[in-house]
Amino acid sequence: MTMHSDMDSNVDTAPGDQEPGTHNVAEAVRNYLIGFALAAALTVGSFWVASGTGLIYAPGVPMALAAFAIAQMGVHLLFFLHITTGPDNLNNVLALAFGALIVGIVIGGSLWIMHHLNVNMMAPANMMDMHMQP
Amino acid sequence: MLGKLSWSAIPFDQPIPLVASLVVVVVLLAILGWVVLKGYAPYLWREWITSVDHKRVGVMYCGLALVMLIRGFIDALMMRAQQALAFHSQGYLPPEHYDQIFSAHGTIMIFFVAMTFMIGLMNFVVPLQLGVRDVAFPTFNSVSLWLTASAVLLVNVSLFVGEFAQTGWLVYPPLSELKFSPGVGVDYYLWAIQISGVGTLLTGINFVTTILKVRAPGMTLTRMPIFCWTALASSLLIVAAFPILTATLGMLLLDRYLGFHFFTVEAGGNPMMYINLIWAWGHPEVYILILPAFGVFSEVISTFSGKPLFGYRSMVVATMAICVLSFMVWLHHFFTMGAGADVNGFFGIMTMIIAVPTGVKIFNWLFTLWGGRIRFHAPLMWALAFMATFTIGGMTGVLLAVPPADFVLHNSLFLVAHFHNVVIGGVLFGAFAGYVYWFPKAFGFKLHEGWGKAAFWFWVIGFYVAFMPLYVLGLLGMTRRMQHYDDASWRPWLIVAVAGAVLIACGIACQIIQLVVSIRRRADLRDLSGDPWDGRTLEWITSSPPPAYNFAVLPNVEGEEAYWSIKQKSLEQRRLTDLPDYKAIELPRNSPTGVVVAFFAVVSGFALIWHIGWMVGVGLVGAFAVFVVFAWRDHSEYELTADAVAKIDHERREARVALVEGREPGIAAVTYSGPPGHDPHKLGSRADPDGGFKGPASKRIITAYGFWLFLLSDFVMFSGFYAAYAVLSHATAGGPAPAQLFNLRTVGIETAFLLLSSLACGMATIAGNVRNMFWTQLSYLITGVLGAGFLFLEVSEFAKMLGEGAGPDRSAFLSAFFALVGLHGAHVTIGLLWLGTMMAQLWAKGFRPDIARRGLCFALFWHALDIIWVGIFTNVYLLETSP
Repeated sequence: MTMHSDMDSNVDTAPGDQEPGTHNVAEAVRNYLIGFALAAALTVGSFWVASGTGLIYAPGVPMALAAFAIAQMGVHLLFFLHITTGPDNLNNVLALAFGALIVGIVIGGSLWIMHHLNVNMMAPANMMDMHMQP
Repeated sequence: MLGKLSWSAIPFDQPIPLVASLVVVVVLLAILGWVVLKGYAPYLWREWITSVDHKRVGVMYCGLALVMLIRGFIDALMMRAQQALAFHSQGYLPPEHYDQIFSAHGTIMIFFVAMTFMIGLMNFVVPLQLGVRDVAFPTFNSVSLWLTASAVLLVNVSLFVGEFAQTGWLVYPPLSELKFSPGVGVDYYLWAIQISGVGTLLTGINFVTTILKVRAPGMTLTRMPIFCWTALASSLLIVAAFPILTATLGMLLLDRYLGFHFFTVEAGGNPMMYINLIWAWGHPEVYILILPAFGVFSEVISTFSGKPLFGYRSMVVATMAICVLSFMVWLHHFFTMGAGADVNGFFGIMTMIIAVPTGVKIFNWLFTLWGGRIRFHAPLMWALAFMATFTIGGMTGVLLAVPPADFVLHNSLFLVAHFHNVVIGGVLFGAFAGYVYWFPKAFGFKLHEGWGKAAFWFWVIGFYVAFMPLYVLGLLGMTRRMQHYDDASWRPWLIVAVAGAVLIACGIACQIIQLVVSIRRRADLRDLSGDPWDGRTLEWITSSPPPAYNFAVLPNVEGEEAYWSIKQKSLEQRRLTDLPDYKAIELPRNSPTGVVVAFFAVVSGFALIWHIGWMVGVGLVGAFAVFVVFAWRDHSEYELTADAVAKIDHERREARVALVEGREPGIAAVTYSGPPGHDPHKLGSRADPDGGFKGPASKRIITAYGFWLFLLSDFVMFSGFYAAYAVLSHATAGGPAPAQLFNLRTVGIETAFLLLSSLACGMATIAGNVRNMFWTQLSYLITGVLGAGFLFLEVSEFAKMLGEGAGPDRSAFLSAFFALVGLHGAHVTIGLLWLGTMMAQLWAKGFRPDIARRGLCFALFWHALDIIWVGIFTNVYLLETSP
């Protein structure tokens, strides 16, 4: 690791670092406070939707929850982890996109496959018993 | 005191494992004694065991893989012999022993031969090809190596103490559940693979970071040698796939140790979920193995054809396409489990699609050879044998990818023949090609050519004789893993197969002899030039073996085939490049961290396998202490003065002068004027001469980027648990359902604690950036207190549920709930421990750059836990309780 000087030569930002050069405390604090307010609002929104308000059409509740969750994850990424769409963050965003793709494949693929297995392979209870013989 | 461990664990009644393990113990003791008596021990400790030099780590990885190849091959010989004998008889291996052998063979060959060898080659070669001095995280590299070695040790200890799994190399439940495998065999497997999995994950993170962030000036991505590209793809796959394995095996461990019901057949557990998840790792895994081998062949074929690689860009695209597609084919490992026509159809087609980029590669290699000046050295011969063999194996694979055909062929010896066809013909041949090719770079002398060719012919012919009969046997209906059989038509083929195995044994013998002969005659085989094969990539510009710092001055890369262009220029001008301006070099200090952590990993692993509680504690506390000590150290680097560098480099330049003025005997001078159609301005070098890339990134970027990759792998691990929860959340087995259990008020307060804690952590980051100690520490303190509050609420919630009889042993739903939410809680706990040590360190040492970097990583970690929590409270608590 030694050969790397601490001077940065390429256009890149470390994940988690704010824009280089922003050491203005007031601005940084405000940034976190905005993020916190948005996150808190979205959380309250989620709990409110889930608590059975009549404002949202009941079958639409899962969608609303998903929208709140994704929005809140985005808020956390942007305001707390400082993952932005700027060119200095390209590598960080690409890595995140790859991770999100894999997470999506694992969860979505598993649900899809397991759903089909459950539908097609629903065994009667007594057949399962055979496996339970010691 | 000793848990389940007693004298009955030693197989006194089974002569084969007893004698085998005694022989191993005696040999090990003899080697140890020899090392100590000859006084080599301090040298080994200083120069190898504690080394963080990527070249040494790579050599040790390859050595470990070669030793394990012999172990795994002995298993193979025993199985072949058993099947040749066991016609209408029991053969010489009782079923429970035979089952352990095939399980151990698969486990060892995949994890400790194929993976270990490929990671070894990556370690040795990648930093050299990138023109840099080491990997991004040298000490973690050593940790990876020694964790792999710990796993090897545990698997081999099972031969002598206890037993190994009798369940096949992927320990499918329900057979691997406690009810059906009550012994310690499966536990040996699980803990060994978990430990080596951590090591492998660290390797993956290390190499993605190295390749993306640590390259020589001017080494843009499109100027990297193909081996670096394949290493990148393989490392990305490790980062993305290994967490799935960790999650899956973790669930099985919870089933076996704490009575969870993920994969049991009672209380709503679902064994098929295991098979789904394990292959979501397992298929990318085979590409983790084969991609670096593709890279080796690309380098070898290009070098020994005397031509640049044909279709560099298509090679890159094909590699990265495989990297992504390999995550979309996993169901083809269980077509017959009954997912139905549409799911099977999708995965069958995806499997055929992934054969396309592989085909592109084969054609690229063919066109590289075409019109080249081919030199038939052993590495090229392995590459040629690979192209023929792998094509056959690939085509039987495409055949198996047709679901209806798979229904006929699945679980048969046809399948066994197929995957040996691609793993031996692809990965192992690649490993051998790389071994012969880079050996002179590692040790300064070549391997003996004659014995190498003998080994080649024995291996290749032996392979065909051993495995082609298995295709026939599969079509004749013989299933895999049979301890005995009574079909007379199978027997002749099995006898042919055992003859093939004997031929392979001769091949291995030739390789051992080759190594011994080469070492004894190293003076004759010496390579002074540093470039014995007339190479094209940067590893050949430095001396053999390279100095610890690899390059006295980081090379300035001005196009593809960085070394070739520099070499051609020197040859044309009959002079070396100008004497550089040498500067002092900082190198990472050697560190016993890796080997000591591995020691504690073995202690904990062994203790967990045998249920020895106190020893588990010792191991875990020890491992944590080592990391604290490592984080605490003041000097992680030492300096080599400019004079010393100049002196060492002078010798290299002397040898180079000989190369430039009159080429070494044995290598024909190549009059080479660029291949037709190869325009240096076409690829990568269109932009300004240094491609805009200015060399390795700063330490802050490297550290944070590596940690970012770790966090992404953590997300993937959570996705495994989340998928299990999503699948099992309705499997309440008559027990309480989510709506009856969850208290949204508590969850709301927990969420508030976590969000406020995150805000406090953000304040600490800001205060840290302006170096204000008081506010940093105070904010960290608030972060920790709020985190502890969250944890307290969660633990009380868990305790209440356990008290009501709604524990994880009640139903699969509750198992998945406790595992998913508990894993998040475990992360918070680890975060608090980390925070505590970091605050102490900050107190003692102030804002040192390395502590500041760690603070950045902690902030990433702590904020990422929020993101995971958002997923949990939405999907676990809110979705299940909403009306």
